[in-house]
Amino acid sequence: MPADRPSSRTPDLAVSDSRAQLAVDVASPAALIKTFAATTAVLVVALLVLMQATGGGQSFTTETLRRQHISRQAELIPAFDVTLGNGQRSTLKAVLAPGGKVWLVDFVYIRCQTLCLSLGSVYQQLQAQIEARGLQGKVGLLSISFDPANDSPAALADYAKRMGMNPQIWQIATLTQWQDRRRLLDAFGIMVLPAPLGEFEHNAALHVVSSDAMLTQIMDYADYEAALNMAASMAQAMPVAGRGPSAGVP
Amino acid sequence: MTRAWPAVMAAGLAVALSVPPLRSIIELSMAWHMVFQMPLLVAAGALAARVLPERGLPAKWGSFNVFGLTGFMAAQGIIAYWMLPSAIDRAVVNPGFDVFKLFTLFVSGVLLCDAFQRAPMALQLFFIGYWVSMMCWLGIYFATTDLRLCNAYSLESQIATGWCLLCLGLLLGMVWLGSAWQQALKNPAV
Repeated sequence: MPADRPSSRTPDLAVSDSRAQLAVDVASPAALIKTFAATTAVLVVALLVLMQATGGGQSFTTETLRRQHISRQAELIPAFDVTLGNGQRSTLKAVLAPGGKVWLVDFVYIRCQTLCLSLGSVYQQLQAQIEARGLQGKVGLLSISFDPANDSPAALADYAKRMGMNPQIWQIATLTQWQDRRRLLDAFGIMVLPAPLGEFEHNAALHVVSSDAMLTQIMDYADYEAALNMAASMAQAMPVAGRGPSAGVP
Repeated sequence: MTRAWPAVMAAGLAVALSVPPLRSIIELSMAWHMVFQMPLLVAAGALAARVLPERGLPAKWGSFNVFGLTGFMAAQGIIAYWMLPSAIDRAVVNPGFDVFKLFTLFVSGVLLCDAFQRAPMALQLFFIGYWVSMMCWLGIYFATTDLRLCNAYSLESQIATGWCLLCLGLLLGMVWLGSAWQQALKNPAV
């Protein structure tokens, strides 16, 4: 069937001499079959690459890819030296470890006037819920400042007071060494951009972190109740020696 | 030799935008990155193909590329990939990946120039129609969503990019219509 196509197509394509020439050269049956094979191969490769790049066609942004990746495969948060709101120096590991709590970690900078204020109120509601449901021994809240240059321990303490943080539930910390900033942000998948008026723009989320510093889930602020429930059930399921009644699960 | 200048200048400018000090422009502005640098790379590839013998492609390529179909499909895959917000983020953060972007988009330009010369009008219309609608839809989405799609760019930058992308899509459609009109005048049979 395609044998007579080249000659019948040629006049259609004779826009210029070179175009006609190209059409005559290539539109043989063998060339049509080769083209069909090549096009199919290109299509398959392109689809595979796109599927790979979007986590199976589900995640088109860096943020959703990251969340999808973490929920499939928890990641160990590396070691960091931190300074707490009371000025005490510690390590992130030591802050997370006691009592086998599961933590909801978020990132802030104290000067923030926009997003962080709404995040602050989410954390205030989380704190209230933890108190109301008696989850103090199971779920902790940790806000980490990524602006150690400006956020001194005094500034952190002031912020803690303004937010009405209950130190039994909600901790605030910053990096002891500002050189660690890049590494910390990379570990949690946070990208910080400078914005006008000395502010920052950054992706914000709730990071569910176990007491052994495994980042297991990243969730939207809007889903803070689901995040709290998840943290509570994770704490329940974790067999931690030396913790009270909830350590009963083998 | 003078025929090569537009290609050299377009490629030179596009590459310079990925190297300091000009790199800060594409790191700060999504529009310069996505609506200026990326199309400029495609254009540079197309301009280079016009002046190279066999359009810079292997002599055998033609028999695998009847009506430019394979070339269109490959260019389509490359361009679709670079419309992913996650790919744009990665090109900003990772210089090695940025080199990959420069290379693939330039190649897509070469393939497109070749494909357009082989393709009948109907096939050209199919792909141009697809790209114009994709760019317009994506542009309107970027400009109107309040979701920040790229971690590397602010929402403000994303909104500006959206409008620029919409304009570029419409411009592309009009340029193609103009050239199709000219060809139809020359050769009413098409």
